Amino acid sequence: MELAYYPGCSLKASTEIYDEQCKRVLSAVGINLHEMDNWNCCGSTSASKTDDFLAVALPARNLGIADASDYSGMVVPCSCCYNRLLSAQKVLQTDQSLLDTINEELTDKITGKTKILTVLEAIQFAAKSGDLTKNVVKKLEGLKAACYYGCMLTRFPYDMAASDDVENPQGMETILKALGASPLDWGYKTECCGASAAVNDKDTAFKLMSRIMKDAVARQANCFVTSCPMCQLNLDAFQKKIGTIYGIDRELPVYFITELLGVAFGMPAGELGLDQHFADSTTLLKELNLYE
Amino acid sequence: MATVLELGSDKASSLAGEVMARSGQNLSACYQCRRCASGCPVGEQTGYLTPDRLIRMIVLGKRDAALDNPLIWKCVSCYTCGTRCPNDIMTARVVDTLKKMAHEHRIRPSSPKVAAFHSSFIAAAKRAGRLNELSFMGRYTMKNTLGGLARLRLRGIIQDQKDQAGFGLVLLRKGRVHFLPQKIKNRRQFKRLMRKGRAWAGSVSKSPASQE
Ligand code: SF4
Ligand code: SF4
Repeated sequence: MELAYYPGCSLKASTEIYDEQCKRVLSAVGINLHEMDNWNCCGSTSASKTDDFLAVALPARNLGIADASDYSGMVVPCSCCYNRLLSAQKVLQTDQSLLDTINEELTDKITGKTKILTVLEAIQFAAKSGDLTKNVVKKLEGLKAACYYGCMLTRFPYDMAASDDVENPQGMETILKALGASPLDWGYKTECCGASAAVNDKDTAFKLMSRIMKDAVARQANCFVTSCPMCQLNLDAFQKKIGTIYGIDRELPVYFITELLGVAFGMPAGELGLDQHFADSTTLLKELNLYE
Repeated sequence: MATVLELGSDKASSLAGEVMARSGQNLSACYQCRRCASGCPVGEQTGYLTPDRLIRMIVLGKRDAALDNPLIWKCVSCYTCGTRCPNDIMTARVVDTLKKMAHEHRIRPSSPKVAAFHSSFIAAAKRAGRLNELSFMGRYTMKNTLGGLARLRLRGIIQDQKDQAGFGLVLLRKGRVHFLPQKIKNRRQFKRLMRKGRAWAGSVSKSPASQE
């Protein structure tokens, strides 16, 4: 399957490992990602907090580029970008005057034809056609995963349908079970990590993350798994510090769902960037004989 | 928030009307069930000023309190309030509207760092078309420092600089800092689109959000 691909800014900066993993892992299951030409920043939540027009226009320009391409679907790995692009598409379905205003300035016009997909949806497509399990060379046995979705994958600022259950999504659990891992039931899978508050309001973000960490540890998870670069960076980079402040004595690796797929497919760890995590991410995999 | 109801005042209807039109949220549907409050993760940080209370404040016409309170700056945009509300009121959008109104009225944010973060982010994205973490963080830190200096918060400034630099160094060690700035092509056309907002805002009295 050929799909358009919107990496977003963080996958071209601090979370480049996720960019690499998405392309490699999806191509292994028969989905080729084509990075859109000349995409721009989605505006993140900052746009909606500062400027009503930019909150739609920034993501909308990308919708135009995707709509003008030959691809019927576009994969957006970052949950925040995904949320903004899908929200803009929804707003423009009902606001004709805003759509006309934006289209006037675009070479590639928005038609609304592109289906916007999460990485989880793309992987599940592959799972349905059997392309997932046939690639598995190592079963992820012993991985007790707390699948962490965060906010942006299932909750939107507009009244719109989510691609998974809003408060108890199962996308990652389904994929991990197919790989032989044991995802856990836990209570904080869609709670907020604080997102940019980790930079501009640390006390708030650390409090939120401490609750997430405590629940995962209490349920004896041995790792977090996520599909959002912001959630991953926050939990990975600040876990040690938060542990010290809140007396949590375990630090869990925070894997991207794509790197666990990569491990199960037997891809070399170096290629997957497992060494670029903050929390120790290799010891557990070595203990489980998943990685030499 | 010991408030006596002052019903029917013009003040109340004009504030509520403005917030409802701009946020697209029907605040008069709120029956104070507090489902939003039980899901709001920042209650402890706002002194229990929860979404239901913010809505009540607006409906009662408490303009000063509505434009200057911890929830509008502590809100993490998790959208839990709105997905749980039986009346589909997305308080997060009300919060975002109040942020913009506070800015228009030049009310100093109770968390200046949050405001500086978002305005620096958007300025950076508008300039290059993409966000460059290095130049964005630089701009944000500078804004903070100047803001802190204006308020003589020297100790805070030093701690912030240390935190920022520490985080930067760890990213650097992990090979996660990129020095090559990302830019889009044909920025002239992009900037024209960015400027279009002014004309658009002048031509309509509502936000795109009000289309629900
Ligand atoms: S959940 Fe909705 S109706 Fe209930 S208090 Fe909150 S805003 Fe009002
Ligand atoms: S979006 Fe803001 S107000 Fe709503 S529940 Fe989340 S933090 Fe609270």
